[in-house]
Amino acid sequence: MSDNKRGRIGVFVCHCGHNIAGVVDVQAVIDEISKLPDVYCVDHVYMCSKSGLNLIKEKVAEEKLDKVVIAACTPKLHEKLFQKTLEEAGLNRYLLSQANIREQCSWVHKANPRKATLKAIDLTKMAVAKARLLQEQGKVEVPVEKAVLVVGGGVAGITAALNLADLGHKVYLVEREPSIGGHMAMLDKVFPTRDCSICILGPLMVEVGRHPNIELITYAEVTKASGWIGNFEVEITKHPRFIKEDECTGCGVCAEFCPVEVPSEFDQNLGTRKAVYLPFPQAVPLVYTIDPEHCIGCRACEAVCEREAVDLSQKEEKIKVKVGAILIATGYETFNPAEKRNLGYGVFKNVVTALELERMLSPSGPTMGEVVRPSDGVTPKRIVFVQCVGSRDESVGRTYCSRVCCTYAVKQALELKERIPGAEVYIFYQDMRTFGKGFEELYREALRERVRFVRGLVSKVVEDGKTRNLIVRAEDTLLGVPVEAEADLVVLSVGMVPSKGTERLLFVLNVPVSEEGFVMEAHPKLRPVETQIPGIFVAGCAQGPKDIQDSVAQANAAASKISALLSRGVVELEPYVPIVDGEVCIRCGLCVAACDKDVLKLDKERGVEVKGVGCVGCGACAGACPTGAIQISLLSDEMIRAQIDAVLEEKKEYPLVVGFLCNWCAYNAADMAGVAKIQYPTNMRAIWVPCTGRVNPLLILEALEKGADGVLVLGCYPQDCHYRTGFDKAKRRVESLRELLRVAGIDPRRVRIESMAASEGKKLAVVVKEFVEELKKLPVLGGELVRVAEARR
Amino acid sequence: MSSSQLIKKFDTDFTNEVIEYGSKFFEDVENVRSCIQCATCTGSCPSGRETAWRVRKLIRQVQLGLKNAAIKNDVIWDCTTCFSCQERCPRLIPVTDVVRTVRNIAVRNGIMLPRHVQVAGLLIKYGHAVPINDETKAVRKEIGLSELPPTVHSFPDALGEVKKLLDGTGFTKLIEEASKGVQK
Repeated sequence: MSDNKRGRIGVFVCHCGHNIAGVVDVQAVIDEISKLPDVYCVDHVYMCSKSGLNLIKEKVAEEKLDKVVIAACTPKLHEKLFQKTLEEAGLNRYLLSQANIREQCSWVHKANPRKATLKAIDLTKMAVAKARLLQEQGKVEVPVEKAVLVVGGGVAGITAALNLADLGHKVYLVEREPSIGGHMAMLDKVFPTRDCSICILGPLMVEVGRHPNIELITYAEVTKASGWIGNFEVEITKHPRFIKEDECTGCGVCAEFCPVEVPSEFDQNLGTRKAVYLPFPQAVPLVYTIDPEHCIGCRACEAVCEREAVDLSQKEEKIKVKVGAILIATGYETFNPAEKRNLGYGVFKNVVTALELERMLSPSGPTMGEVVRPSDGVTPKRIVFVQCVGSRDESVGRTYCSRVCCTYAVKQALELKERIPGAEVYIFYQDMRTFGKGFEELYREALRERVRFVRGLVSKVVEDGKTRNLIVRAEDTLLGVPVEAEADLVVLSVGMVPSKGTERLLFVLNVPVSEEGFVMEAHPKLRPVETQIPGIFVAGCAQGPKDIQDSVAQANAAASKISALLSRGVVELEPYVPIVDGEVCIRCGLCVAACDKDVLKLDKERGVEVKGVGCVGCGACAGACPTGAIQISLLSDEMIRAQIDAVLEEKKEYPLVVGFLCNWCAYNAADMAGVAKIQYPTNMRAIWVPCTGRVNPLLILEALEKGADGVLVLGCYPQDCHYRTGFDKAKRRVESLRELLRVAGIDPRRVRIESMAASEGKKLAVVVKEFVEELKKLPVLGGELVRVAEARR
Repeated sequence: MSSSQLIKKFDTDFTNEVIEYGSKFFEDVENVRSCIQCATCTGSCPSGRETAWRVRKLIRQVQLGLKNAAIKNDVIWDCTTCFSCQERCPRLIPVTDVVRTVRNIAVRNGIMLPRHVQVAGLLIKYGHAVPINDETKAVRKEIGLSELPPTVHSFPDALGEVKKLLDGTGFTKLIEEASKGVQK
């Protein structure tokens, strides 16, 4: 180690108040790290505070530091902030290396401060070892495409699109349905003000339709996407609506003559529509659509259309757009209550969902605003609301609260009280969560209006076969008495679930989702509208259940974030460039085959060459190279090796596990385990990798040879891989390596590859725990290595 | 009982006891910690509609560690173990299994209903919870069966073995002590 040449490294250890220092003995870390010859080490209570950042800047100057190591929280939180601080201190931002001693250490090893401290020392030593090899990197700036794609035309998408368009940005708004409007267009009144939903949404929809900066693409889906922040290429598939959008005036004569009547999706199948239809009167665009599934091809519509707008020869259309940013605003679906069989939905006619009731309440709905029993069309006099249907219910895999059902039930109860004189309304609940501004007041009003609230969830709904009335069973827990209520109509307050459209889109865009299927934010508190993919944003219920107020607020926040990106005009990309050492390259071409981005070219004379831009920094090339000739700048073999050495020069655990954690899933899963304080054994030392495809099997062997008792390679589920095929490559390599190990006489159980989602902190903890348990049962690795060496002789 | 006295009786030992003991026989008993008293259980309970049995309250007592209140209340024997509550619990608590666990703990503490002690006494004495009587003997004879069934009734040696088993498991002693309590 030529320290003088490499200069001095400043190590800054953060207490994070008690978050780190409450478990890790920070002084012990400093004492140990200070023993390193080329290091200056100091601590601070909050390194991210102004005084902490100033400390870094001061010490860089005073101590003539060339590189900086920060041992604190996950780099996912403050890396950018610390990079900026380095720049302010006159250092290149890429001369920063971080040790994650909070999420990966103090938060998950609370019961074992001694071992946690030893681990923190190791993690910091690893960061120092990596720092020694860091080199300055130039800025890579690319221009930003001055356009944005908004997917989903509900209130969130509409709000964001208008906001962005008003700021002068080109907006492509893609909507799956024939009209924009989303769920909000279906609602009669909205809480807490009880104003008419379509009256406040309608004007915005119209504005979207005629805004010069908005290109509205309805009846269409995003089917392909590629590129990165600032430069996405997206393919939109527009379904044929068999009506020329430019010609149709929305007069509706076609529908008058259409002989086919089918249930209307917009009216929750309570009413009907024709095979050529407008989903609702205020639709934007005001263009009819022929539903090919039900059209019988009689061409009556064609005959009566004066504008000759009907075009049965229309084909599916692929539209390609280039955008700088993408906003996901794909909303939600309501929970299908048929999954809760005890509630009788789909079996008893007079059990309806709240959305069905909402359509009945709407003056333009299937009953023109009359609330009736579906069985006989009679006005119900006693109505029972069942709360938490598909919310807070583990038996149907929905653990979360949907946040709107309490208040919408209160609102609907008040509507019923007002519209049906003498109506009795009961709400069976477990907790009333009327938390928003003006919500509690609405709840109070409902109590005043004699809506009866019963604390106890409904356990069963049975039907009286003769009257079609319903018997609702529950316990009034505040009285401690089982109760039964006979109702004319039962309304199920269904929760929100991720829409199927969201699911598909997220797959296309490769955006990580939470366990429940909602889009995961870059940070749940500080970066709520950014996804984990730079340049892709989220707003509205695609991110999680929320009411209209919150959707609109989030849409505005996303618009402002996107506008900032587009207005800046350029975006800085990570400096991803593969570097090839022509001397070492044996011209095998494995890296060229491993590269999905077609960045590499094999020249028999000169070796492998890098052609043009487009490298995304996954490192699959370096993972495939048998000689270490090709490297990626952010994480070279040497940097990985230095980290392994730093851990194994003095082994502090048995069994000791070296972990390779993928940037997109496993590393985040470890952070999630930290945030959720899920405890697991201290034995793993994690090395960050951009993708498991980066992990060269030779490095795994090296770790074992140098004394690691086991190696974990933790990445994404194959279908979630940020680079599409990275995990598959890693899996194949690890499987082959295990086979080799077996043949060589080393227990293959020492190397394991696992998939997990970014949200699966629990799984990470379980995998580490099980792996450590398994390693404990194996004899020590030394014996195996000796036998291998003897066999070689 | 004033509320402050009640809080003093909160005792997580009983919660732990139920989870540990119950987990020997049943799965997911620890889910009892996440009960939010939604009362889907009591609402589902066919016994509760006719009796004072409130299964939700038992779960609450387990959560709060109110051991005496739980095991000394005769209503825990009013559960018919129909499993409706367990089937519907939105928090995946094995409600009926918790009831069975609490009953087991009650019995281990010598708390039984007199009629259960009685039945257990019959089992110890005759090897049958419902031993044969003259009436049944007559019916058996009438339809052409042997007067006694081929059980311990016909094999006194086997009865001895049953007794040995009941002694060995401590059942006999448990019942003897419980019957003293019943006599009191």
